Amino acid sequence: MEAATNKDHFNSKQFLAGIARGIAGALLFALPMFMTMEMWELGFYMDRNRLLMLMAINIPLLIILSDRVGFEQTSTWRQAIRDASIAYALGIIASALILAAMGVLHVDQSMHEVSGMIAVQAVPASIGAMLGRSQLGGQSDDDGKSDHDDNDDPVSDRETSYAGELFLMAVGALFLNLNVAPTEEMILLSYKMSPWHALVIVASSLALMHGFVYALSFRGSHDLAEGTPSWHAFIRFTLPGYLIAGLISAYCLWTFHRIDDVGITQALIAVVILSFPGAIGAAAARLIL
Amino acid sequence: MTKTTGDKNIEADEPHWIEWVTGAVSAVIVIAVMVWIAKDAIADRDASPDLVGSFVNVERRSGGYQVQFEVRNKASVTASQVTVRGEVRDGDALLEATDTVVDYVPGHSTATGGLIFQHDPDGKTIHIQATAFNDP
Repeated sequence: MEAATNKDHFNSKQFLAGIARGIAGALLFALPMFMTMEMWELGFYMDRNRLLMLMAINIPLLIILSDRVGFEQTSTWRQAIRDASIAYALGIIASALILAAMGVLHVDQSMHEVSGMIAVQAVPASIGAMLGRSQLGGQSDDDGKSDHDDNDDPVSDRETSYAGELFLMAVGALFLNLNVAPTEEMILLSYKMSPWHALVIVASSLALMHGFVYALSFRGSHDLAEGTPSWHAFIRFTLPGYLIAGLISAYCLWTFHRIDDVGITQALIAVVILSFPGAIGAAAARLIL
Repeated sequence: MTKTTGDKNIEADEPHWIEWVTGAVSAVIVIAVMVWIAKDAIADRDASPDLVGSFVNVERRSGGYQVQFEVRNKASVTASQVTVRGEVRDGDALLEATDTVVDYVPGHSTATGGLIFQHDPDGKTIHIQATAFNDP
C-alpha cells in the first residue's frame, strides 16, 4: 500500500506485497482472539454503544499509528488516513474470512450476530494489519525502512516526542490487553486474588516495566543521559506508562462488560491483573516500535 | 523527549516540565489505587460471601411471566455458580418454583438474571433466594 503514492509510479507488485503484509500482521496479532470463545459471544451480546465506541476509537488510533510507524519522514496525514482505511478494511475482511473458515459464522445466523462478531474482531485485526505493515516489512529492497540501514537514515535517527512515547505505550498495552481482556480468566483471577496479591502484582508490573526498558540491554532499550538518576525515568516514563496501561485495561474491561455491577475493589483488582500484561506490552512497544 | 540513534534511545536530560507533571499525577493515582486496595486488604476480610436475593420487576413475555432478580453480595469474598431459587406463593401455598445459576457474584457487587413462571405473580408473593454457591 505504501507504493501507491503516485499514480505514475504505481507498482502493483509492491501494493500487493503491502496488502499481504497487512493480512499477515492481522493473522499474527489477532489469531489468538479469533480462537477465543468469549470474543465470538461478545459479538452478539455486547452493548452496541460500546461496540460503536470501540470502533470509532480505532479510527484515530490507526491514523496516528500509521503516521507514527509508517514512513514518517515522507508520509502526510492524507497518506496516513489512506493507510488506516486500508488496514481497517483488511481487518474486517480478514475477520469475516477467518471466522467463516473456522465455522464460527454460519449463513443462517442473523445479521446482528454476524456484524457484531466481525466488528469486534476487526479492531485487533486492523491494528495487527497496521503493525504488520511496519514490523514485518523492511527486509526487502522495495522498502526504505530496513533495520540495517546506516545511522544517517532519517527513520532510525529521530526524536520521539513525550506524547509519542506515551502513545506507543498505549498501543503496546492495548495489544496485549485485547488478547486477554475478553476471557473469563481475567475476572476469575481477580476473584481468586486477595488484595495482597493485587499489591504484589502492582509492584511487579512496575518493576518489570522499568526493567524491560532501562535495565535489560535489549535491542532498542533506552538509556538516560549522563548523570541523570534512574528514578527520573521511573517518574517520567514508567509511572505514566503504567497509568496508561491501567486506563486501557479499565476501558477494555468496561467495553467487554467485565466490570458492570462489580464493586470498586473487585474492579480495581481486575484492572490491576489485566494491567500486568498491559504494562509488559507498553514496555515492549517502546523497544519495538 | 527521547532521541533515537541507531538502536539506542537516549532520554533527554532536560525534560519539559509537562513530563514531570504527568509523572507526578501518575504517581498520585497509582499510589491512590494501592492505598485503596491495601485498605481493603487490612480492613475488609470476610471469610465467606453474604448473598441476598431480591425481586426487581416482572414482565409478561411469550414464555410466561418473566421475573428479573438481583443477587447482592454484601461480603468481600466472591461467590461462583450461585443457585438462585424463585418461588411464587399464595399465602402459605407454594404455587410454583424455578431456579437458575448465576456464574459469579463478586464481593460487594450485584448480579442480575431472570426466572420464568407460568403463574401470574400479580397479587401473590415472589420469593427470591440464593440457595447454594461455590468458591471461585
